[in-house]
Amino acid sequence: MLMLPVSARETTMSNATVMIVDDALFMRNILGTILREKGYTVVAEAASGIETMKKLHGCDPDIIFLDIILPDANGIQLLDAIRKIKPQAKVILCSAIGQEAIVRKGLDQGARYYVQKPFSPEKIAEALESLGE
Amino acid sequence: MDMSQYRDLFVSESKGHIQVFNELIVRLEDNASDTPAIDELFRHAHSLKGMAATMQYQAVADLAHRMEDLLSRVRSGELGFAPGVADILLEGSDALSAMVSAIEADDDRLPDAADLVNRLAGFNAADIPPSPPVSASGTDAELRAGDRDQPGPAQDHQPRQTDSFKSVRVKTETLDRLVNITGELITTRYRLADRAQRCEGAQLEEPLNRLSMLLRELRDEVFQARMLPFSFVADRFPRLVRDLSRKQEKEIQFQVEGKEIELDRGILEEISEPLVHILRNAVDHGMEMPEERIAAGKPGSGTIRIAVTRDKDCVNIVVSDDGRGMDPKRLADKAVEKGMLSREQANALTRHEALMLICAPGFSTAETVSDISGRGVGMDAVRAAVHALGGGLVIESEAGRGSRFLLRLPVSVSIIHALLVECGPLAVAFPVNAVKRTIELRDGEIFAERGQSFFSLDDRQVPLRSLNRLLGQPAASDSRDVIPAVVIEAGGAATGLTADRLLGQREIFVKPLGIPLSRIKGVTGGAITGDGRIVYVMDASALL
Repeated sequence: MLMLPVSARETTMSNATVMIVDDALFMRNILGTILREKGYTVVAEAASGIETMKKLHGCDPDIIFLDIILPDANGIQLLDAIRKIKPQAKVILCSAIGQEAIVRKGLDQGARYYVQKPFSPEKIAEALESLGE
Repeated sequence: MDMSQYRDLFVSESKGHIQVFNELIVRLEDNASDTPAIDELFRHAHSLKGMAATMQYQAVADLAHRMEDLLSRVRSGELGFAPGVADILLEGSDALSAMVSAIEADDDRLPDAADLVNRLAGFNAADIPPSPPVSASGTDAELRAGDRDQPGPAQDHQPRQTDSFKSVRVKTETLDRLVNITGELITTRYRLADRAQRCEGAQLEEPLNRLSMLLRELRDEVFQARMLPFSFVADRFPRLVRDLSRKQEKEIQFQVEGKEIELDRGILEEISEPLVHILRNAVDHGMEMPEERIAAGKPGSGTIRIAVTRDKDCVNIVVSDDGRGMDPKRLADKAVEKGMLSREQANALTRHEALMLICAPGFSTAETVSDISGRGVGMDAVRAAVHALGGGLVIESEAGRGSRFLLRLPVSVSIIHALLVECGPLAVAFPVNAVKRTIELRDGEIFAERGQSFFSLDDRQVPLRSLNRLLGQPAASDSRDVIPAVVIEAGGAATGLTADRLLGQREIFVKPLGIPLSRIKGVTGGAITGDGRIVYVMDASALL
């Protein structure tokens, strides 16, 4: 199981672990910051479909933020693959405007919620609340 | 949420995206059916839009959004990737670049792109026949990406590597400090070795050897960290050549070979503008108009090529073209006209020397009028830059056939292999790259002609000068049997420099000298040898 150091300033408001999947370093940084400030632990990051599957073999995130446009993968197919090996993980899709159809399909296939970019703390909070965390 | 902390990252990521835009667009102009390239272009516009929206840079997001829309239409087959599309996308890329620069400079007023945004939105496909769809489906902005089980989209180019935990970004200053420290370690090790020699029975050999080995490893690793592939500077060249040739209505194919070859980033930095200048010259002066070429029996489309190769500790960069070439005789005549040379001197020039005339300051007035503002880049600056790095420049050309510029550069800069030479009380170092050979001359081998000394080397007369005199040092005693001389290459011609003693070859770590020493002509840096002696590193061609 992949263990990462936990920042001392995090409260134990929620010990839920999160994995962030987005091919842009910029986006991962921002999402990571928002999540850490809310007390979550980011246990893994991935920038591609292949990296996502590789990392998932070594960790058990409670929540996965999944960007649906990745350089090597179709978001929905990746979602399927993730749900097969980690069915208990709650997946939140990250999309841009204009991708409603894909998001709908993803929600049908087991994603729990979605966040439309650009990220903001409020949107993330709303998504997390919906998971009952 | 405070976004300002992300500004630097936004700027550097955006620049990366824009760089790839340019490459891909130029590539697509040559091959409009390169589907993976179109998808990649779309993704970059998309990422840039996302980042800009997050940072609340609405103007940037809007522009990127329009470009994304246009690309979407190309992917669905509604538009072909015709020159009109490439042009407007490049315009968009330039506008984005200007906006990112403004953001980087903390300038609130971003350049206005409203007109461009409208043109992108209303881009008319009427004059451009649609090509067969390049993408299988076109719903929503859904990307056609391969199945996870299949190999990724066929690529003969690498998409820009996305960041992951496997690599870190390191500031160049940090690397510079590492190089400095490593250099100091090596110098200190030499001094230790020196003292150990003088201490009987100290038995320091074994740990010193181990230290040597570790330092070599450390130095290699640190240098490796400073290495960047040539593509780092070369990636912007295709766009540059394309823009220049379009402006002049010339047809030019541009090729780069060996762009994966790595050089020290300091060297890349110094060589970038000189290469741009050589390329501009090749397009402006070197390349004929298509009609002229065809009339001369050449293909209407000219070729400019950069080939990078590596041999041992040198990197060779050759910029060649099949344009009109240069005639050494006419160059020599021009020099006489300009009063730079006498007729006899001009007649005595070798072909090589005549071609190098274009590097003489003021030789070609066309060179100095350039829209690369402020840098004063002419061929003389190109040659100076190459020599300052301890490298060499050779020009070959044949009238009517084309020209070839060969830049020979050391792989890394700060620790150099040098030949040390004693000259009066001074120790002076020449980068080994710049030294053709050393020679010991006997009295009978030196002859004088019109106040100049010469000696014979490989059946040629090579001028001989006194390093002591050039450096203002006391002359060595005249009654020596054998006079050591260093034969250096300066401006394509060989010159011998006499000195007091040859001290041998060493690896030395070169540091820049501070003011006022840095102002001395011909001295490019200083170093300390193992015995604590200060050595001045010379740029021979600047001396002469």
